[in-house]
Amino acid sequence: MFFRRAGISHTRYQQERQLWPLPIDRLTVLAVLAFLIAAPFILDRLYIVSYLLPLIIWSSAALGLNLLMGGAGQIHLGYGAVIGIGAYTAVHMMRAGIPFELAMIGGGLAAGAIGIVFGASALRIKGLYLAMATLAMQYIVDFVIVQFPAISGGSQASLQVPPVSFLGFPIQGDRTPYYVALFICAMITLFMLNVRRTSFGRALVAIREKDYAASIIGVDPFRYKLLAFWVSSFVGGLMGAVLATCYYRAISPDQFHLDLSIQLVAMVIVGGLGSVLGVFFGVSLILFAPILLNQTIALVADTTGLTLPMDLRAHLPLMLYGGLIMGFLLLEPLGLAKIYSNIRNYFLVWPFRHSRQ
Amino acid sequence: MPEGRILNCTAIERSFGGLKALKGVDLSVGQGEIVGLVGPNGSGKTTLVNVMTGFYPPDAGQVEIFGRRVTRLAPHRVAKMGVARTFQNLALFRGMSVLDNILVGRHTHMRPSALATLFYWVWAQREELAHRRAVEEIIDFMQLQDIRDEPVDVIPMGMQKRVELARALVAEPRLLILDEPMAGMNQEEKEYIARFILDAREERGITILLIEHHMDVVTALCDRVTVLSYGEVIAEGEPNAAISDPAVVKAYLGERAARRRTGSAA
Repeated sequence: MFFRRAGISHTRYQQERQLWPLPIDRLTVLAVLAFLIAAPFILDRLYIVSYLLPLIIWSSAALGLNLLMGGAGQIHLGYGAVIGIGAYTAVHMMRAGIPFELAMIGGGLAAGAIGIVFGASALRIKGLYLAMATLAMQYIVDFVIVQFPAISGGSQASLQVPPVSFLGFPIQGDRTPYYVALFICAMITLFMLNVRRTSFGRALVAIREKDYAASIIGVDPFRYKLLAFWVSSFVGGLMGAVLATCYYRAISPDQFHLDLSIQLVAMVIVGGLGSVLGVFFGVSLILFAPILLNQTIALVADTTGLTLPMDLRAHLPLMLYGGLIMGFLLLEPLGLAKIYSNIRNYFLVWPFRHSRQ
Repeated sequence: MPEGRILNCTAIERSFGGLKALKGVDLSVGQGEIVGLVGPNGSGKTTLVNVMTGFYPPDAGQVEIFGRRVTRLAPHRVAKMGVARTFQNLALFRGMSVLDNILVGRHTHMRPSALATLFYWVWAQREELAHRRAVEEIIDFMQLQDIRDEPVDVIPMGMQKRVELARALVAEPRLLILDEPMAGMNQEEKEYIARFILDAREERGITILLIEHHMDVVTALCDRVTVLSYGEVIAEGEPNAAISDPAVVKAYLGERAARRRTGSAA
């Protein structure tokens, strides 16, 4: 098959440790990248603005959460609030005339600083208790944003993002925001891929699996748990700024509530904890499954002439959607990434039956 | 006792609730020695090692490693001084390959940072590859070439124990503490590990403290043994003499066996 591994032998460590050791994988990545770059010219504007752009932005944000949950094994139920902190900080900075590039970093730093305070609780508590602590963060941040008009601009108000530019390109219209988001997504993806082959990433996995064994190897659990919270919150805050500037263009407190946090956790888990590719799968499923199901049901109802009651028609897609997520997790608890790698490994040895790894 | 003390424990006490796990234990290990720490189950061997490596601060007593007091030091600081250990129950990191598990062992020699990760090609790559070389040396030394790329949870337990020993050795420790490295192994696997332990001392000059239940291994490998029972040192010295000490026979086999032995000797 086209996946063959035979005949590819690496003679230097550098070749073996590259991100995609198989040529076919490198070709696939290049093809996907070429498609994403060409997309605004070959696809209808609707597809870019309402499908590809949100996919890219939410994937980047979910990658940050994935580093914490999949990489370091710490649960976080307040990631929506982290994104909110970044978005509000960046928008306020931009309204004060600070350029977008700096505001983006500022949003990341603010989210990182506040995230690390709540993350510090992870040093003492684990599992469900940490879930509660991060949930508390979500509510506290929600409360603070709404209660302080200086931050939210009043409880019902939304903050407009002033016109800004990124590296000299004004962020307006449909294409520039898309390319800005794509560029940042590519940077974050590269970072997350590199995490797995550096001592930083290995230390995080060591903490996740056995923190006592990690500590006698010299990994300071205290430092690395905080670092995981810091980096993941920084990415969240950065993406909050991108989200506000490239997608929402105006932000209000209700965009960063608990349902966003839960949705992000669902994206990471359905995609496969710890897998970079899985995050993209998970985000696609969570974003697009409801839309697809809705359209399928409408289509079926129309072609068969079946008249569904209005409320059933509204709720059926949601029920199917819930069932779909449960089905995937029962079938493959390691998520969509594992399903993909099973299929891939099958073809790696096809027509033989046994695959390694 | 040989010159150059590597490890010195004096009057270590530690209790859990009402249970006194260690009641004033003394133990010392000299440069280049292999010292055995034996005793029946629950005699406090692992507790003593946990005290040495900073997991449990002792209630009383002193621990000195390389002449430095480490009594209140956290485990990762003890590790940075050049101490490595393995665990009685395997403590490998699932979800990583054998190679990556051993690479974690290089942690104290590397400079991990998130920024270096972002700029991998200009910043981290050279370091990663340099340490890969050290890891490959250990892989050769421990004969792990075949399973280098396997996920660590699918290889047999004997091999997992060997990977754990490799992970400890790759840190280039001066003192290596092995907590039952041969538990659950067959004769052949035991012999392999025994050879690796001896080679570690000969080729790498590592001083070793060995907890082990297999008495044949202990008498064959160790220069000295210390025998613990109920948190107290009941015998110490040359291996064969120490384990045939009446107090030790009594602790392991009971009063009657001890009497029968002394009876027959007399």
